[in-house]
Amino acid sequence: MLEFDGLHKSFGGNHVLDGVGFAVAPGTMFGFCGSNGAGKTTTMRIAMGLLRADAGTVRWQGRPLDQESRRRIGYMPEERGLYPKMKVGEQVTYFARLHGMGAAAAARAAEEWTTRLGLGERRGDAVEKLSLGNQQRVQLAAALVSRPEVLILDEPFSGLDPVGVDALAEALLEQVHQGVPVVFSSHQLDLVERLCHSVGILARGHMVATGTVEELRQREDGRLLRIVVPDAPHGWAVGLPGVRVVSEQAGDTLVELATGTDDQEVLAAALRTGRVTHFAWRQPTLVELFREVVAARPQEVAA
Amino acid sequence: MTVARTSELRPPGSAALVRLVAAREISTRIRDKTFLFSSAAILLLVLGAMVFQILVASGASKVTVGVVGDRAALQPALQAQGKAYGVDVTVVGVADEAAARAAVSAGNVDGVLLDGTGPAPRLLVERSASGPLSSAVQNTVSQLALGRQLSAAGITHLDVPHVGVTALDPQADQAGERTAIAIVGIVVLYTLLILMGQFVAQGVVEEKSTRVVELLLATMRPWQLLAGKIVGLGLLGLAQIVAISVVGVAGAIGFDLVSLPGQLIGTVLSVVAWFVLGYAFYASVFAAGASLVSRQEDLAGVITPLTILLVVGFFIAIQAANDPAGTLAVVTSYIPGLSPLVMPVRMAAGDVAWWQALLAVVLQLVAIAFVVRLGGRVYAGALLRTGGRTKLREALRAERI
Repeated sequence: MLEFDGLHKSFGGNHVLDGVGFAVAPGTMFGFCGSNGAGKTTTMRIAMGLLRADAGTVRWQGRPLDQESRRRIGYMPEERGLYPKMKVGEQVTYFARLHGMGAAAAARAAEEWTTRLGLGERRGDAVEKLSLGNQQRVQLAAALVSRPEVLILDEPFSGLDPVGVDALAEALLEQVHQGVPVVFSSHQLDLVERLCHSVGILARGHMVATGTVEELRQREDGRLLRIVVPDAPHGWAVGLPGVRVVSEQAGDTLVELATGTDDQEVLAAALRTGRVTHFAWRQPTLVELFREVVAARPQEVAA
Repeated sequence: MTVARTSELRPPGSAALVRLVAAREISTRIRDKTFLFSSAAILLLVLGAMVFQILVASGASKVTVGVVGDRAALQPALQAQGKAYGVDVTVVGVADEAAARAAVSAGNVDGVLLDGTGPAPRLLVERSASGPLSSAVQNTVSQLALGRQLSAAGITHLDVPHVGVTALDPQADQAGERTAIAIVGIVVLYTLLILMGQFVAQGVVEEKSTRVVELLLATMRPWQLLAGKIVGLGLLGLAQIVAISVVGVAGAIGFDLVSLPGQLIGTVLSVVAWFVLGYAFYASVFAAGASLVSRQEDLAGVITPLTILLVVGFFIAIQAANDPAGTLAVVTSYIPGLSPLVMPVRMAAGDVAWWQALLAVVLQLVAIAFVVRLGGRVYAGALLRTGGRTKLREALRAERI
């Protein structure tokens, strides 16, 4: 189990992390979401020992991470970092060696990973000669080459074309199948929804939601109702008791019902406006969940 | 599954990490064009200085004198006298005056002594006799004539008091030669310090500007990275200065440019030793300075003041060659940072007691210990701050990871 436990961190007077905690089981993928500046990168840097937490620990297999155990973590920083003038093969070998592989094993692993990530032909080229997408692959190779026990990846999908996204997703899923816990941060919530077993949403240094995508859905489930009423005048649902209009677009209306509100009364109200072409409970997407939980915070603070 | 994964990794110790970083620095630089060109340039400089010496030396100090007559008596006396005037005299026998004229005209000899042991000795030269040549010949003739006249008068055993020589500064002559060697050494040392300092600084900024430093620090401590970088480039610089020294010393001895090879080697060794001290100091300072900036463009702003310190040291060292006992030279030869440039010159000039050299070394070592600690803190504190330029105070105050 990879556990982030009660992390606090402030820079000057700015409280960036306020008790961030979540756990990732071996062989699962954890999607770490949050708006810009929410503290995702800070959290990952603390795990990698690049920043020191004011309080809290990150544990792997029950023991706090230290310099030694961090060597068994594959890390991809948000700001990509490679030596531009170093050759691809040598570079990947170098990182394997820094993680503790012997010279021969490192060279073998570098060859294997560059081949698997489609860089076989470019092994002798300087990194700066590669396209950005290929540089990203080198970065991934550098993270995977030492066969890490844990993967921590900061925005690994950003800047990739759809083919690159699929290739990276496949590589990560393979790691997960081998029992590696994978944490990655992303703004591409559809991707997180597709790949991750569980999700954590961070807003202004707080974990506002954690759990499986299913659990998060159920939290919001039974509250959102989509009704399509093509002939209804705009604002038809405003004023119905227990109903809050989330959005309304040419009769396509999303409403949120307060607890105890009878959905059949809403249907009756809809029928009074004319035809009803769609009436169903809505499974919220992760994007909507995200908006919901992230938007909820300032209100809580204000209250 | 996880067990299988760990077994391949053997946690590298500090020494192993430093070695890995150093090896990367060396293998990267050794293929770097700047490095190759500058190494070639320094070597050419030293070779050029030697060729210049050979040309200058070959003109002056060799004289060939032809002798008509009693060569057996004249040759040893001429050579002994020549030595006193600082010229190597080669004596060749010439048959008669006609042959002598021909030899002088052809330039085979610098002059011919006719009737050297007779009553009317003459020196035959092309245009005019050089000072050492005419003096050596004059003294030879006088000495031999005096000997003959004395023995003719029956005085065979002459009691001439031998002048005991007490030299106040017996090494003054050699000191000049050693100072010249030290200056060549200082030029090389200075060039290499600047070059290696630049390499260290550029390397630090490259890692910061490309953000690769974040990946590196996920596997090692800042001091391990810093040490690896400094050791790697230092070994490269040391190899360079040793190679240059070997070429220079071998050339100087081979072409007979120095009178005392032992002292040449002594001076070169002291320059090499001072290079190590100077490099350790400047590399740490340059690395700390460079860690404060995030882009190559900003690098000049922090390392120019440090480079100026080196330039000042260099000019004081050149000045010290002329006046090794002057106040400026004496004082600066103890100041850490300047001493690696000034002290070798003073030591070559020969007026440094062992304890003075030791004091300069100790002061420099203390300064190195200080900048390594402080520079290491700055480096560790500033390394992950990648926005613009970090203030020195911020870097020192930053949390250490």
